[in-house]
Amino acid sequence: MTAQLGALVATHLRDRRRSLLAWGVPLGLMSAFVVAIFPSVEGALAEAVEQYPAGLKEAFGIGQLTDVEQYLHAEMLSLIVPLALGYLAVRAVASGLSGAAESGRLDVLLSAPVSRRRLCAAGFLATAIELAVVLAMTAVLTGVGSVLSGADLAVGAAAAGFANVWPLALLFAALGILLCGWSLRTSVVTGAAAGVLVAMYVVDLLGRLDPDLSELRYLSVFKYYGNAIEDGIDPLAFCGVTVAAIALAAAGTWLFDRRDLAG
Amino acid sequence: MSAAPVIETEGLTKHYGQHRGIEDVTISVGPAEVFGLLGPNGAGKTTAIRTLLDLIHPTAGSARVFGLDSRRESVAIRARLGNLPGDFGYGKAASGREALRLLARLRGVRGGGRAETLAARFRADLDRPLGQLSRGNRQKVGLILATFHEPELLVLDEPTSGLDPLMREEFLALLDEERERGCAVFVSSHELDEVERVCDRVGIVRDGKVVAVERMSDLLGKARRRVTVRFADAVRPGELSDLPGVSDLVVGDHRASFQVEGDLDPVIKALARHHVADVEATHPTLEEVFLGYYREEARS
Repeated sequence: MTAQLGALVATHLRDRRRSLLAWGVPLGLMSAFVVAIFPSVEGALAEAVEQYPAGLKEAFGIGQLTDVEQYLHAEMLSLIVPLALGYLAVRAVASGLSGAAESGRLDVLLSAPVSRRRLCAAGFLATAIELAVVLAMTAVLTGVGSVLSGADLAVGAAAAGFANVWPLALLFAALGILLCGWSLRTSVVTGAAAGVLVAMYVVDLLGRLDPDLSELRYLSVFKYYGNAIEDGIDPLAFCGVTVAAIALAAAGTWLFDRRDLAG
Repeated sequence: MSAAPVIETEGLTKHYGQHRGIEDVTISVGPAEVFGLLGPNGAGKTTAIRTLLDLIHPTAGSARVFGLDSRRESVAIRARLGNLPGDFGYGKAASGREALRLLARLRGVRGGGRAETLAARFRADLDRPLGQLSRGNRQKVGLILATFHEPELLVLDEPTSGLDPLMREEFLALLDEERERGCAVFVSSHELDEVERVCDRVGIVRDGKVVAVERMSDLLGKARRRVTVRFADAVRPGELSDLPGVSDLVVGDHRASFQVEGDLDPVIKALARHHVADVEATHPTLEEVFLGYYREEARS
């Protein structure tokens, strides 16, 4: 059983090796660039931020931008990295289920003594690894940018900031499995999941901007995302979102197990 | 006492919402038997196969394979069978060897079984990405993936589609060998001559229903063959028109064309009274087989 799971996860990761580079390297370079330019824009930024509306600063978690960690959070970790990784998670998990169904691969795999539950578990596990690798690549390249530019980025804080994206993105991998239980068209799965991702971000943003809408934030996983680079990882939120992702993936697997795989 | 069936379905039915898939399919396939599911495209052959493999779930009825329930024990069933899906695909980037490596690990087969031998026999390229192979060459890879582990049951959906005539013959020979080995084969096709070559029995599928299960020889006996004969000398129409089973007779200059239903022997003997320069007997088409079958049904 473990051998089957291992074989499926290894194959999934091998098939996605180009994707690891295609996402990890650009995100890492972009993040490294953000960190690298900080020493030269630091003074101007402080003045500019003072002019920003309070709501905007609240919405994007912008404090004083007096240190590189705050700048990295505002430029990368508050919006770009979580949205990109959430979308990557959906794409990755869908490639192993709806994508495999579209290419005919699912029929071949399910000719072997493999349960659909194991296929879903393998896709989820492989996606979790893929997300961790992409985040690690991004963090390492960011660190390199800091060293080369002398930006003096705190390694531990930066690592916490990137690691905190992982459970959030994993939740969208789980959503991808759930959607594959409903449709085996990759465009439908990725489109619907991307819609939920953006909607959750907007709901959280509105909740932060308008106190009357703050209750809406409970509908969004971004409420539990926070600002780990400044405040450290909230273990309760980290574990809670991870458990929610596993539960959602289990529900998706239950649906996938019961659906027809029409040829 | 006869051996337990490898496949046994009872009233197997699948509806897609309002649309018909298969209706009340009841068949049985024995060990080392090659059973053909014959019918035109859209008749329900693929739905029947996918239901057996638990890729789609039946609306009603049941199916047992190796005596196991096709829904609850499908993993155990699939450990013992090989399947070639219709329109085989595995993605464009992966090679046949990569697919084989994964399937061998999933099946717990060491060293790829007899895959290399089969690849040599079918001249299949296992190292090129499948997206770079022609349909026929992809199909060869699919056949190897279905058979490399020497399964007890082969389920093949339109297996020769895309194969050139030489490889088609090689494949039909392989099916004979598989039967000799004791493997049961469940094959769908819309080509009568292919089914005729390898099948012991055939189920005719029409509009989702298995309208008949016949031994191959019985089925062909009910169909009309078209015979065209060129004589070296003249022939009188009466010599042929009175023969049993002959119809649609057209006699021309040293040439006769007619349809024969049932036994060919009296026709051959009548023709042998002349100097025959050439003779051609063509297979009935699938539609003609159906017509033959329904004619027989109407008579009875």
